[in-house]
Amino acid sequence: MADDTFLADDLLRQLMSVGEVDLLVAISSLDAPNSISPAVNAIEQAFRQYFVRQRVVIVNIGASDKEDSPDGNQVDDNVVAADLGNLAVKNVHLPGIASLRTIHRVSASFSSPPSPGIALRTILAIADLLRARACAVVSPATSNLTPDSIANLLRPIYQEKFDFVAPLYTRQKYQGLLVRNLLYPMSRAVFGCGIRELFSDELGFSGRLAASCLNQEVWQEEAIRARPEGWMAISAFSSDFRCCQVFLGEKSQPRKGSAKDIVEVLRQTVGTLLWCLESQQSFWLDRDKLQPVPTIGTAHELTSETTDLDRHRIFEMFQSGVTELEPILSSILDPETHSEIKSLVSLEEAKFRFRSDLWVRTLYDFAASYHHAVINRNHLIQALTPLYRGMTHSFLAEHADSSPAEMEAANEMLCVEFELQKAYLREKWKAKVEVKS
Amino acid sequence: MRQIILQGLEQVYSKLVHMIAEFLPRFLVMLIIFLFGLLVAFVLKYILRVLLRLTKLDRVSEQSGATRVLRMAHLPSMSELLSRSIFWVTWVGFILVGLSVLEIASLQEQISRFFRFLPEVFVAILIMFLGVAIANFLSRTVLLAAVNAGHPSAKILSWSIRFVIWILAITMTLEELGLARQTVISAFSIVFGATMLGLAIAFGLGGQDLARKSLERYFGGTKKEEDKEPPPL
Repeated sequence: MADDTFLADDLLRQLMSVGEVDLLVAISSLDAPNSISPAVNAIEQAFRQYFVRQRVVIVNIGASDKEDSPDGNQVDDNVVAADLGNLAVKNVHLPGIASLRTIHRVSASFSSPPSPGIALRTILAIADLLRARACAVVSPATSNLTPDSIANLLRPIYQEKFDFVAPLYTRQKYQGLLVRNLLYPMSRAVFGCGIRELFSDELGFSGRLAASCLNQEVWQEEAIRARPEGWMAISAFSSDFRCCQVFLGEKSQPRKGSAKDIVEVLRQTVGTLLWCLESQQSFWLDRDKLQPVPTIGTAHELTSETTDLDRHRIFEMFQSGVTELEPILSSILDPETHSEIKSLVSLEEAKFRFRSDLWVRTLYDFAASYHHAVINRNHLIQALTPLYRGMTHSFLAEHADSSPAEMEAANEMLCVEFELQKAYLREKWKAKVEVKS
Repeated sequence: MRQIILQGLEQVYSKLVHMIAEFLPRFLVMLIIFLFGLLVAFVLKYILRVLLRLTKLDRVSEQSGATRVLRMAHLPSMSELLSRSIFWVTWVGFILVGLSVLEIASLQEQISRFFRFLPEVFVAILIMFLGVAIANFLSRTVLLAAVNAGHPSAKILSWSIRFVIWILAITMTLEELGLARQTVISAFSIVFGATMLGLAIAFGLGGQDLARKSLERYFGGTKKEEDKEPPPL
């Protein structure tokens, strides 16, 4: 039985008038509150073109009147209402294609912008109450959201009985380095889960998975409040729900200046991943099997782009970070790993390379220290930032002239390195930490 | 004459015997109390050590940075320190109770003063411990934030925070113990005021460029740090 007590009365009233549905698409308009129109249009068209006979609902999750959004814009509830309300009018302009069912619209407004965890929990509760069979979450911040991409998220669940759908994108060469160098290879090695995009604004899930996630006592956890998608993917995988990946096209680039602080991104994503390691240790500690996740459509793609990234500045920040954070890093890292990293600091920029085996060992040391809580966990993840910068610099230097295929091969080798060193993580994880007297 | 001297000596002797006869049982009672106190102190130390290990206090202490400070001061771990403290406090308490059995008037006054002072000592230790833990936590927070933002004086900022909180904690501890109250408050005001004034002058004179850069960055005049790095997600 889902916990629906946290839903507002007004929202429950709207849901009661909707009844049961087959498909639910939720728009999480927290990051781009004033631009949900393209997303709503895409969803509308997807319903009209691909799901004519199904009972459908569009849910908007946003902040109410005149609240400041994270990018400094003001959230205007009237805009959201107008965007949702205009849908019926737009039906007229698509002759020959019309839904046989009413497209219901539900709006859940919060007095202040809710955390992503609260937003997802609300969507899951709505899906559970409406007994939706297939659900998708999209973000209006994604500029290239198309009816096809929405249908691609819903179809594997509705027609092929998958429970979780993760997206796959065409990415630019230097985009998503955290995903490529840390989140994907580490989650793949540890959980045996080959989902490439664990932390994405778009995802699809079944009503069954929604109910299962909703009933878990995790919603007050900081990691889940900040970034719940990764947990949902890992949770689905580890609970034997059927998972797949679908190709959605090009991943949109964040606007210049709108990118989240790297420390914040690490805290949210790596923090959630390490929290999942901690909370699901019974699943992965004695497991070595890599379970492939079916991919629908084109596999992951890379495109070559020129870049104006300041490599020198990234290297400087790595050097100063490792030097200044030495006492903190010494309490997190194994002495051998730490001394190897310190020796990298003295290298010239041109000769500097962060070897993949050292990078993997570093991350596994961080994971074990997170488990043993050797320092405050939030501080621990922040201390990873300079090392991630070192890895980023090394990656940029190494792959300045690499083709996408070469980069993909290098990524596969990194994944293998993570898998090879999993025994090291196990050993560190199980080791008893004695506080020195 | 001889008779008087003998009588005097006899009186002194009988008084001495009487005193020894009175003192010896009390002394034995005192020794018994000492030994009993030692036993109780050992038992309490053992129980507390087990309880603290069960509550994983050392881990909390390690996380808050207090353990590192203890290590710097060549002190044992937090649970060991507290266990030893309870041992000594208990035993000293029993020693003082034992001494009071001797009924030495001046000593009894000192003993009662010590017992009146004990709660203040505990509060002072607590204030000092919290001060050290908060100072370490906040200085580490500042250090990480400054280093990750590429701030050139991260360590100075971090140490400034630690220094200010330590001064505050020491002042509060001494104030609690009632040691040289006026001097402590005056010294704190002078040190704190001088530090803040020094920082303000230093920033005004030496940090003009830094202030300009910060304002430019804040109002979008120059590239943000994150724009120079590839998007992580």
